[in-house]
Amino acid sequence: MEYGLKPLGRERLWLWAMLAPTLIGLVFGALGSILATLGLSFTHWDLLTPPTWAGLSNYINLFTNPAFLKALTNTFKFSLLYVPGVVIVSLFVAVLLNRKIRGVSVFRTIYFLPCVTSAVATALVWNLIYGRDTGILNYFLNHAGLASVCWLCSKNALMSVVVVNIWGAIGEGMIIFLAGLTAVPREFYEAATMDGAGNFAQFFYITLPLVTPSIFFQTLISTINAFQAYDYIYMMTRQGQGDSSVPVVVFSIYRNAWNFFNYGGASAQAIELAVLVILLMGFYFWLERRFVVYE
Amino acid sequence: MKKTLFSLVMAAVLLLTACGGQKSTTNPGSGTPVQITYMEWGDPAELDVWKAIVSDFEAANPGVKVNVDVSDWDSYWTKLKTLLAANTPPDVFAMDAPLYPDYQSRGVLLNLQPYIDKNPGMLDGLFPNTLTAYKTPDGYFGLPRDFQTIAVFYNKDMFDKAGVPYPKAGWTYDDLRATAKALTKDTSGDGKIDQFGYVIDPWDFEGGMSEIIWAYGGDLINADHTKTLLGDPNARQAFQFLHDMMFVDKSIPDPNTSSQYGGDLFLSGNAAMIATGHWSVPGYSEAKFKWDVVPMPKGPAGQATSVNSAGFVVAKDSKNPQVAFNFIKFVESAAGQTRLAQMGFACPVLESVAKSDAFLKQSTLINQQIFLDELAYAHMKPVFKGYDEWSSTVGDGLTPMWNGEAQLNPTLDQIVVAADAVLAKNK
Repeated sequence: MEYGLKPLGRERLWLWAMLAPTLIGLVFGALGSILATLGLSFTHWDLLTPPTWAGLSNYINLFTNPAFLKALTNTFKFSLLYVPGVVIVSLFVAVLLNRKIRGVSVFRTIYFLPCVTSAVATALVWNLIYGRDTGILNYFLNHAGLASVCWLCSKNALMSVVVVNIWGAIGEGMIIFLAGLTAVPREFYEAATMDGAGNFAQFFYITLPLVTPSIFFQTLISTINAFQAYDYIYMMTRQGQGDSSVPVVVFSIYRNAWNFFNYGGASAQAIELAVLVILLMGFYFWLERRFVVYE
Repeated sequence: MKKTLFSLVMAAVLLLTACGGQKSTTNPGSGTPVQITYMEWGDPAELDVWKAIVSDFEAANPGVKVNVDVSDWDSYWTKLKTLLAANTPPDVFAMDAPLYPDYQSRGVLLNLQPYIDKNPGMLDGLFPNTLTAYKTPDGYFGLPRDFQTIAVFYNKDMFDKAGVPYPKAGWTYDDLRATAKALTKDTSGDGKIDQFGYVIDPWDFEGGMSEIIWAYGGDLINADHTKTLLGDPNARQAFQFLHDMMFVDKSIPDPNTSSQYGGDLFLSGNAAMIATGHWSVPGYSEAKFKWDVVPMPKGPAGQATSVNSAGFVVAKDSKNPQVAFNFIKFVESAAGQTRLAQMGFACPVLESVAKSDAFLKQSTLINQQIFLDELAYAHMKPVFKGYDEWSSTVGDGLTPMWNGEAQLNPTLDQIVVAADAVLAKNK
């Protein structure tokens, strides 16, 4: 991977100075919990009595526990829909908002708004939109002569929450892509226009290849977010007794730990989730070498 | 390898818990006030009543200060577990009877028996049903604070409008079904039902499910908590009855329907009847319609309802166990129970107060006596180690059936297997 210039001398000092707050936070905040989680995953621990050694049993249990397997399947299905969704939609929005149009900053703010709004609050609003008999979405469908859809019933719930999660992530992706788009030299477009390339040709032959670093980065971030997704999903699909109609892995971790006194099992689930994400990241970096263009 | 990893874990855990902070408890002999903390789940409105109780207690016990901490139900349990794990638990905290064994069996609660023994007669006036849940072979590790029996609340205005007579004590489940059917309507005329006859909680047994199972002669679980009985013929019949009300009569909204109303369908005026406890009374007193309460209906095996008690426990690591116990004793006394009764969320466990005007003549004019009379045929909401996981497993298993995506009988068959596995694990 050739990244061009390497930091030298004083620059190196500044590099570490700037990284220090994050690194200190990681080492003194997260590292302890990560090690503790790793250790606890080999124990039976109910939080209240001392942990006892469990060997690999928590991990072996993951392969046979139907609730966990269901959650894992949901997390994969969710990620497969969510990651391409976020990348495509936010790139589309960024391209639209990268033009000189009136009130562009207002639009950008509006698209970014979900990122700074409480997920719990917006999920409640989405519940009202999705309501089967009372929701505004079905109201419009009915007026268009279509039948009501039960958006949050178990067969549609996954799709419905994916849509909301994508909607919530557009703003963040848009910022990344806008930064990437502004780095594309204007001359390329001017030259292409002279050569008679239309908007679509310009997008596919200039913009797309040149924003591959942003696409790569956004895919990476979205994948991590997809594996950690919880708040919207839980708020929209929760049921009595703390269940969810679309249980995902993070939900399963939370529930095992806090409701079932099973911190060992929850830790093993967390470690498995982390390992899966790390493997995927490795795969992405392998893809990066083949497909990402650094100017 | 095993050992080093384990010590690493313990080191990490200690490091994390060490950040938990110190509690401000002072030595009783030092002259500065002794402080204890009382933590409970509840409504913010309850805080005022607790402040009144605390100031009465502090006035009677100079040099003692009680800090009250109220959280909502979900945060309460997370917070409590964290504080217990960090060895900084509140001195006194509230307990829900079904969850009590999960804590008692793990040794984090103080055995109150020696303290009770020093106060002979202290438990005499308490309703015996409410004490049972907290009794263990080693004595009481907790004491009931108040109790809840379940009754049917009904919207009088809705009955009047439909010309349906009010339900009366001694009614049967067949009466309930007919009444609910008569009150299920599409009031807006858009082809969708928007007024339902009856509402149950399809996941929490005390919200209308356990009552009918008992009234049909079934049970939830066997006496030593090793076998789930929800698949037995009587329980099946009871489930079938609720299932038919939901899917044949459509007089009980299924969860997909009720979730769109975002809360309590009875309070929002979308349901004529609901099976719930006294905790609903303060909220319903704000309703814009007239309502009253009637005992649970009779089934083929007689009348049955559910009783559950919230209680107090003391942390084993409390620095001031005697003060903590004195606080509990005060709330169990007539003075404390009278204040709690006025709060209106629950029924007093002290019989003399429950039968006094403090409880019977509350600002909300309903027949409070019903909640006391129901004790005669009330079954205790199950109390055993692993209750939370067991009831979640049952609840998760029922979900596809209540959503209309699975058949009743195979669902119950599967639930029994899964729930029994949880029971075996928690033995």
